[in-house]
Amino acid sequence: MAETGDINSPTSQQAVRQWLSQLARGNRLWIRSTVAAGIVAGIATILQMVFLARIIHLGVIGEVPVADLTPLFLWLILAIITRAMAQGFQTRLAARCSEQVRRDARRQIHKHWQATGPVALGQSSAGTLAREWIDHVEALHGYFARFLPQMMLSVVVPLLILVLVFWLDWLAGVFLLLSAPLIPLFMALVGMGAEKLNQQHFETISRLSGQFLDKVRGLTTLQLFGQTTGATELIRKRSDHYRCITMKTLRVAFLSSAVLEFFASVAIAVIAIYIGFGLLGYITYGPSEELTLYSGLLILLLAPEFFQPLRTLSQHYHDRAAALGAGAEILERLTTPVDSHRQLPEIADSGSARDVIELDSVSVAFRANQDVLRDVSLVVAKGEVIALAGPSGGGKSTLLHLLAGFMSPDGGSIQLFGEPPGSFHFGWLGQKGFLVQGTWADNLRLTTPDASDIAIDTALRNVGLGPLLDSRLEGICSPVSEDGQGLSGGQARRLSLARIFLADYDLILLDEPTAGLDSDSEVFVLEALHKLALAGKTLIFSTHHHALFALANRVLLVSGGEVRIG
Amino acid sequence: MGDLKPWLKLIFKRPGRLVVGGVLILATLLSGVGLLAVSGWFITETALVGMLLAAGVAASINLYVPGGAIRFFAVSRTVFRYLERVYNHDTVLRLLTDIRVALFQSLASAGRSHRQELTGAQWLSRLTSDVDALDTLYLRLIAPTALAALVTVLVVILTAVLFDMRTATLVGLVLLVAFLSATIGTYLRTRHLAARQSERQESLRNAVIEHIEGFAELTAAGRTGKHAAWLMRQAHQVTSEQAQADTRAGWHLAGAHLMINLSAVLALWAGFALFRAGVVSGPVLVLLPIALLGLAEIYAMLPDAFGKLGATQASANRLNRDCREEQSTASTVPLDLPSNTDLLATNLAVKHAGYAPLFTHFNLEVKSGERVGIVGHSGSGKSSLADVFAGLLPPAQGKLARKDRVYLTQKTVLFEDTLRANLLIGSPNASETELWRILEVVELAERFSSEPDRLDTWLGSSGSRLSGGEARRVALARVLLNPAPVVILDEPFTGLDAKTRTRIAKRMNSLMEGKTVISLAHGPDALPDTDRVIHLTG
Repeated sequence: MAETGDINSPTSQQAVRQWLSQLARGNRLWIRSTVAAGIVAGIATILQMVFLARIIHLGVIGEVPVADLTPLFLWLILAIITRAMAQGFQTRLAARCSEQVRRDARRQIHKHWQATGPVALGQSSAGTLAREWIDHVEALHGYFARFLPQMMLSVVVPLLILVLVFWLDWLAGVFLLLSAPLIPLFMALVGMGAEKLNQQHFETISRLSGQFLDKVRGLTTLQLFGQTTGATELIRKRSDHYRCITMKTLRVAFLSSAVLEFFASVAIAVIAIYIGFGLLGYITYGPSEELTLYSGLLILLLAPEFFQPLRTLSQHYHDRAAALGAGAEILERLTTPVDSHRQLPEIADSGSARDVIELDSVSVAFRANQDVLRDVSLVVAKGEVIALAGPSGGGKSTLLHLLAGFMSPDGGSIQLFGEPPGSFHFGWLGQKGFLVQGTWADNLRLTTPDASDIAIDTALRNVGLGPLLDSRLEGICSPVSEDGQGLSGGQARRLSLARIFLADYDLILLDEPTAGLDSDSEVFVLEALHKLALAGKTLIFSTHHHALFALANRVLLVSGGEVRIG
Repeated sequence: MGDLKPWLKLIFKRPGRLVVGGVLILATLLSGVGLLAVSGWFITETALVGMLLAAGVAASINLYVPGGAIRFFAVSRTVFRYLERVYNHDTVLRLLTDIRVALFQSLASAGRSHRQELTGAQWLSRLTSDVDALDTLYLRLIAPTALAALVTVLVVILTAVLFDMRTATLVGLVLLVAFLSATIGTYLRTRHLAARQSERQESLRNAVIEHIEGFAELTAAGRTGKHAAWLMRQAHQVTSEQAQADTRAGWHLAGAHLMINLSAVLALWAGFALFRAGVVSGPVLVLLPIALLGLAEIYAMLPDAFGKLGATQASANRLNRDCREEQSTASTVPLDLPSNTDLLATNLAVKHAGYAPLFTHFNLEVKSGERVGIVGHSGSGKSSLADVFAGLLPPAQGKLARKDRVYLTQKTVLFEDTLRANLLIGSPNASETELWRILEVVELAERFSSEPDRLDTWLGSSGSRLSGGEARRVALARVLLNPAPVVILDEPFTGLDAKTRTRIAKRMNSLMEGKTVISLAHGPDALPDTDRVIHLTG
């Protein structure tokens, strides 16, 4: 699952913990209500035991008739119902809390995406980013819904019980208290055990899955060579080998929870025997003379409840480890510094002309002394068609990104029709077309929500997708494809181009619009660009393609940090 | 429940382990209940005897049996808990192996075409999580449910023995409600929510990936905010459904606990009547309600497990679907080939389900020992044609007959294993000398003889420790090792420079003497030596 970054290093773990508590602070109300419900349930449990012991004492020792005990029975039932209600509300509130936290975390990540911008974001794979946004955020669930509230409850509830037991019989209280200093020790033990367990578990599972998936991935190859039986045996052997290794660790790891179990059991046994002997009058010192069946039974009934919150906590310990692991990766994304090229300057309208695109001595350097663009000045009139030529890595894409406002220059200024880049909507066509699952209409309305059906149909026909559309039963209301297999790369890019037709932008930027296209698509893209040019749009594109040079009013050569007339 | 059947069958193939594991859990649970119940009995007994003693009445009490029992249960609870956890986790890991092996076997015998419908990486990770859902089925669901039922029955019998039938019936009825609420009740109330979860999350994932891929276009159009808001709503729906399922399971747990506590109250109430009538003694009156309270711990695991049962069923359903048998396609049945002919395609149509045909009326006859090149630009459908020749894709129409073949797919597939293991897939009985000779042909012998592990060099995941060209050559070597008379090579020289290509092609000539070779590439210069070349016009 989580490719462990360096989540074990103390500094980063601290940072993750800080981030988690920040998220918790934002949802204080929900966490507090969850804990409050848990405390109510704890108090109701204590009261339940009090009434139970009282009833037994009065009935057995006092020989009070059952009818006289009715009010106490009613109180008992009330306590039980309260306990159940509080328990139910606790899970309800915990679920709400985690829901809110996950929403907050997702919002934070998306904000960071927006700040990072399309260029830098493109450096990470979409799958990785999606996993962070979905799975890693999901991994926070257990921590906020279970671990965090339980952590507070495992302090409060045992303390309440301890006070009551001390009041009933201080020596029994001492027995419980003696195990109290052991509690932090338990916690550490359980924690260490659970953490090790968790790490080992994840490691084994992911390694094992790796091996297994590797074989599944290559299943066709194995089938082609008739080697599936051998591979099956190998999976069995490897899987069994990992089981043996894992069990070695587990045998040790489970010991720590056994210690907790042992102390809880022994404490109960010791208290039971102490109370028994006290009631017989065998113990002549301390408070045991005042023990009654009521107080003795109550102490016995409360003893397991004293340890229960801690046991629950140890069950939820893996939630903490999972959240720390996932949190580390999310935090790494969130703390990735936003490139200096993303600080969009807010230039007041410098009164530059409204109908030109103007670059004034623009410089960009990704590394010191390595200018991608150096003092570039350029004026493009509205309605012009500009082709950017030059070697790959020469700065064509950088120039387009600057014009798009996806990044900002290190020096100089850019004005598009009298406004800073990115401040108005424009058409962008990347090298990969972009489509979403849904109908043709959904795909086009993504950028132009209020487009009419006729306009959508026209736009699609403008990019030569007419025949494909006619072959679909429901025209623009039929789904584009399942998982993108239905459209070739060229068709997908034409779909994106159709969006640009539909939206009627003044400025259209295109990054290598014909690169890697089959000849059919190429013809359609050229034709479509021609139509856009005739419609008076300002087109700026990078290209190596000769047919596109012919389309341009001007060809600019971007190379060695300079922009020249080509 | 039908979806789970094949997997349950697999799990129950280890009845011995399951029973031993179950007995260990039972011993743990009974020790816990016993510890509290005997302690309660002991305290009540001592209180009564103590009162008599204080009143000066001679009374005696056996301290050794209850004292010993208390100490025994305290220790046995710990020991059994530890043994149970170790033993059952071992079982879970064994089941995991069983499930993986069974799954792999049925995937291997299932058809390939629908495996391709699923997108690679996502499908693989889903496969893992679906398998994980099944391997804990025993420990999380089956064992606790069976034991909760067993312990409940035992406690009801205890009630009948210690108290009377009427009380036992009442207590049994209340516990039945608790049991049904914790198990079937939870399942029914969360089934739909849980089953949808995985699918919802998958479509959310697709939407997020689309969002990121279109980030530049959306930014340009000023729509990232709007589209992100839509994504947030989708995500919120997924989480709130999950929260709803959690909440429901939580209420069912609370309900089950309520019923258990009420059964204790009921037992106490009924017990007092029997106590006054002198049927039961004070200590026994106390023992039973406390034992009933102990049931809460046993029931605590159930609602959570049953809340996930819907999702587990969905997982099983998906795995079953992935493994379903392909309808037999009779079209690749070897027809009688004319003598001296190794491959004969008549009136062939190549078509992927749901798409327009790539070729129709395709005819080809390849003589034994002939070397045919097929050239077509990318997207012309030549890989699909190669798949048809190799028998991976059934022809939509027409007939295909050919001799035994070996096929180098366009995609280089290497395994996370040693070089040797990867090569031996081509020919399991190849000798060390043969392996080196074939590496010589693809010009990798020098590269690997300088590695410390030589043939046992680890290639890393998907051959990640090799360059693209090296990986391609290993895949080619694997194919060349295979003795099949017909060799189909799809873009055999991807990632190789022209000089290397020429040298390897030359060496292949002598190696493949007498074999029939059909090679496909995007251009004539990417082909090995051929007798004739066919140009595809898509």
